[in-house]
Amino acid sequence: MSGSAEPGLTSPEEHERRIADIQNALRNGRVPSTTRARLEAARDGRAPWIATLSPAELLLARSHGLKPIAAVSATCWLHYGYSWTEGHAQGWETALDRLRTEAKAAGANAVLDVKMRTVPLFIGSSMDFSLTGTAVRVEGLAPSTDPIVSTVPALEFVRLLEADVVTTGIAIGARYDWLKDWRGRASQTWAGNVESVALSLLGEDPPGRPCRSPAQRLPNGQRVLAHVNFGQLFEIEADTSQPKRFLGRQIVIATTVDTRRGTPMRHDIKMVMDMHAGATPLTGRERHHQSYDSQAEDDEGI
Amino acid sequence: MPDDIPVHARERLKGLRSSAHSTGVFTSDFSVNEFLLVRKAGFEPIGLCVGTCVYHVGMQFGAWSRNQELEVLSKAMYHARELAMARMRAEATAMGADGIVGVKLTIKRLEWDEHLLEFIAIGTGVVHGEGREGFRAHDGGPFTSDLSGQDFWSLLHSGYRPVEMVMGSCVYHVAHRGILAGLATAGRNVELENFTSAMYEAREIAIERMQAEASAAKAEGVVGVDIHEGSHCVEIARDRVLRDWHGGGAPGAGDRTGEDRRSDHGT
Repeated sequence: MSGSAEPGLTSPEEHERRIADIQNALRNGRVPSTTRARLEAARDGRAPWIATLSPAELLLARSHGLKPIAAVSATCWLHYGYSWTEGHAQGWETALDRLRTEAKAAGANAVLDVKMRTVPLFIGSSMDFSLTGTAVRVEGLAPSTDPIVSTVPALEFVRLLEADVVTTGIAIGARYDWLKDWRGRASQTWAGNVESVALSLLGEDPPGRPCRSPAQRLPNGQRVLAHVNFGQLFEIEADTSQPKRFLGRQIVIATTVDTRRGTPMRHDIKMVMDMHAGATPLTGRERHHQSYDSQAEDDEGI
Repeated sequence: MPDDIPVHARERLKGLRSSAHSTGVFTSDFSVNEFLLVRKAGFEPIGLCVGTCVYHVGMQFGAWSRNQELEVLSKAMYHARELAMARMRAEATAMGADGIVGVKLTIKRLEWDEHLLEFIAIGTGVVHGEGREGFRAHDGGPFTSDLSGQDFWSLLHSGYRPVEMVMGSCVYHVAHRGILAGLATAGRNVELENFTSAMYEAREIAIERMQAEASAAKAEGVVGVDIHEGSHCVEIARDRVLRDWHGGGAPGAGDRTGEDRRSDHGT
């Protein structure tokens, strides 16, 4: 092994300096300086490129003129004491901005294979919103001022590209709704088998309400592929003078794509023999996004 | 290093197939598809190579009230991994392998002592079927790769060869005691900058270390990187290194690594 058995450790002063630099940079929408130095070295070819892609994805990406530059990542650890639901939108939006800033520093046109991650560390009413991905350059294009962010695996990115569809970013929708049960519509103890209409409605997107659905904010011609749809219902106990209250909250996170309507896909579809062992990119894979795997962690609250 | 191989392991290696011993058997942990694709890539398996290291992790002292890298734990991860990988590589060298494919690095905690960790590296030693040289790592020893046989074929097919499995990790303590006490909970959500910057620092340290290993291995790039964080301690690992052999002489092979982390050393 050419690697050394000793990691290069940081001195306490270096650590303090670095933490201060990170906080200062993030507050001002910049990339922390050690990260910037690394990304610029990768951009200029002074350091090895780093890709989260599998070898098969690398092969495919290279054949479509995509060159990996560096692994990029971003985090926003948010305390959602005010609103859990809106915190999720805010946390992901902040992390997305930071990811784009890193991609720009790497001279990239796009970030592929973006994964949503959350450390399984539940401290108070807080959560970390982390994104990781691979910054790539498209051969023949100048570095972008606004790199696209693709939350699908590189294999799917290329598959979409061949069908003349470009993934452009992420749209996040988060909303909550209260049901104050004055007339006891949710109490159906003696009702037998019957739908709880009041709660069904709360669990859905109520029609006619200004729902912050991600698709409504998109420019013309853009569509979304929904990836994560996470909803919960809670009963919130109140004192006996008040009716029961129910809380429904919902998070929708989708990949936005740019495509022309009605354009048929001209890509040949061929039969292949899949030699992969176990789960494969063709027949399925492990979950791409790891956030929202479990419903068990959250506090109740809006 | 081959001198370190235990006697019975040397006996086992002697029984393997080689140019001097064509009636020997080969051993591998390949699945059928892996076996076929490694052969399709022009390589023949010779034998399983194993390296083990049981490691005692020293006591970590620290100021738990602030963010910091847990250096004793970080160093232990590096040292123990190095020993296990070097031993596996010594077996591969002894059997004359050009490289090791499908390396699995597992870390187990021994249940009777929380300070004991067992590192096991295992993979299949392979040689180029036509004796073509140039696949070895830049130090002349076998390449290491955690790629499966399928990925190994894909990698060679795309014009790269594996060189070395590289890793970067950082065991990091996020100080969280009392952090929520002063937070107003009304009006707006606030970012916990302390936690955010801890994540940034730990991740940066790990990526830098991985990149340093890749540079030392004279790699052109690293493929299959997995950046992940465990609870309490943040750790980043897993990559493989490759080299472009379009310009250079001969193709070789390269790799990545994975590992699991423990840690209840935080507060």
